[in-house]
Amino acid sequence: MSSAAATRDDVRAPVLRTVIRATGLAGLGLIAVIVALSDVIARAPAGASGLAPALQPPMIGFPFGTDGTGRDVWSETVHALALSVPNAVLAAAITIVLGAVAGFVAARLPRRSGGVLRAVMGVLGAVPVLLLAIAAIGVAGPQFAVIAAGFAAAPAAFNRSFDRAMALAHSHYAEFARTTGIPGTTLLRRDLVYEIRGNFVSVAARALASVAIALSTISFLGFGAVAPHRDLGAMIAGARGQYLDAWWIAAFPALALAFFILFARLAAALEEGEPP
Amino acid sequence: MWRVWLWQGVQFVLSLAGAMALASLLVTFSRHTHGFWPFLSVFADTLTNAFKGDFGNSILNGQSALRTVSLQIPATLQLMGAGALIAFVVGIPLGIFLSASRMLRAAAPLMQIVAAAPVFCAALALIWLSVHMLHWSAPWQTNAMAGSAAASGGAWQDMLRGLALPALTVGVAGIACVQVALRRKAAVTLAAPYRVGLRMMGLSAFEIDLRYVLPALLGALMASLGEIALALFSASAVAEWVFNRQGAAVLFLKSSASQDWTVAALVLLIFAAIKLLADFIGAAATRLLVPADAAT
Repeated sequence: MSSAAATRDDVRAPVLRTVIRATGLAGLGLIAVIVALSDVIARAPAGASGLAPALQPPMIGFPFGTDGTGRDVWSETVHALALSVPNAVLAAAITIVLGAVAGFVAARLPRRSGGVLRAVMGVLGAVPVLLLAIAAIGVAGPQFAVIAAGFAAAPAAFNRSFDRAMALAHSHYAEFARTTGIPGTTLLRRDLVYEIRGNFVSVAARALASVAIALSTISFLGFGAVAPHRDLGAMIAGARGQYLDAWWIAAFPALALAFFILFARLAAALEEGEPP
Repeated sequence: MWRVWLWQGVQFVLSLAGAMALASLLVTFSRHTHGFWPFLSVFADTLTNAFKGDFGNSILNGQSALRTVSLQIPATLQLMGAGALIAFVVGIPLGIFLSASRMLRAAAPLMQIVAAAPVFCAALALIWLSVHMLHWSAPWQTNAMAGSAAASGGAWQDMLRGLALPALTVGVAGIACVQVALRRKAAVTLAAPYRVGLRMMGLSAFEIDLRYVLPALLGALMASLGEIALALFSASAVAEWVFNRQGAAVLFLKSSASQDWTVAALVLLIFAAIKLLADFIGAAATRLLVPADAAT
């Protein structure tokens, strides 16, 4: 790569990155609006069946078609999205508090206690998020699926945050600050403020994407949302028996879920070379 | 140097012990003991037995949990192995290609349009494509047809079909993980100032990439082995469930659903042990390939 090309790329890449991040945030905003207005946007109440003949393909009047019991797939998808998104936001909040924030604080604890916590989280992090969440649901019950997903995604966030905070704690400025007598709690407060200001959106969006995948998969496998409440995962699972002949009953909820995860990942700028 | 290796070995053993404690904790929770001391006593007993290799019996079939899991684990490892093969064969060239220039790297998040689909959506899409494009039977119809296929000599074809789609599903999850690991490292390595210095010293771009960049990328891949293993485990659980395959991952799901925690905890322990082993091997390989990276 020539140096001129490298310079051009140096200029364009951050711009493109900003555009991608803004696209992700705009997409999440749009989804938030759909969720907030779900009862208005949806043409029928959740679970209302017999609105039209069963398994009608997308057409005027039923843009997403109808499912096996004559439910409007558009309305069902909007209602499922309105259940999936708040659940994911709640689980992400748990992940941020128990994972990202706790990891940051744990890195500043006395060396041994911080190390022990990191080791414990390292062991929890050795279990896939999905399986850890299912184990927690099995012990606590399906009504705790959201908490379980948030808890299961926390170790990975904790470990990332801990390692980052450790790097900050051993940076030149931190050593300089300590030698000039600035107490550890002041340093922690200052780093935490800067971390939240600089990386909160990335960390939150990353947690959102992670728990959205976990929660939808949990529901798809039958461990999450129970009837009559159907989130997107449960809706896709319900379509499994008939989607080979009626693709629309699975495709539209799957697209809604994929867009939700996509926007969260774009907002987190997950794959741009630098983990948040 | 030997101290570093020793410390990594100790960390690995301690992590394994921690994973065993986690599995024992899960079994203890399921016993519904009342009070702290009875809980601690049951936990200590369970952990001691686990260290002795006694993981208890399945409440469903009464057999040893170890035997129940050992019958199912080869199918999962076979699926993960096939998925890992696809992940490395496709993910490494893809990751290197997407790292070729900064513009390509910055545009690469568009890949996420594909990567954003959860594994179960990818699995269902693959089934739909195989049924409508290749005229294969759906996995939930395959078992019913297996008898007639065997009689007509098509058993091996069904076996191949039975593995192809689940392996592809697991492989897709692995590909996403592999190419991300490569691209993250490439973002740092390709921008490193030493590349310019080496060019000024007369080395060609190819030589620099071969001697310095490639080991760094391989090191990054090795360092991510544990993450890749995690992605493969989760994908295996979903693939086994969707494609009606009998394996340890789906055994975990069924055991969790039926509160058979001795079996579920043992599956978790085995998965955690494999992930920790992958981390250990990855860290060792990184240390050998790029000692400077491993030190940081």
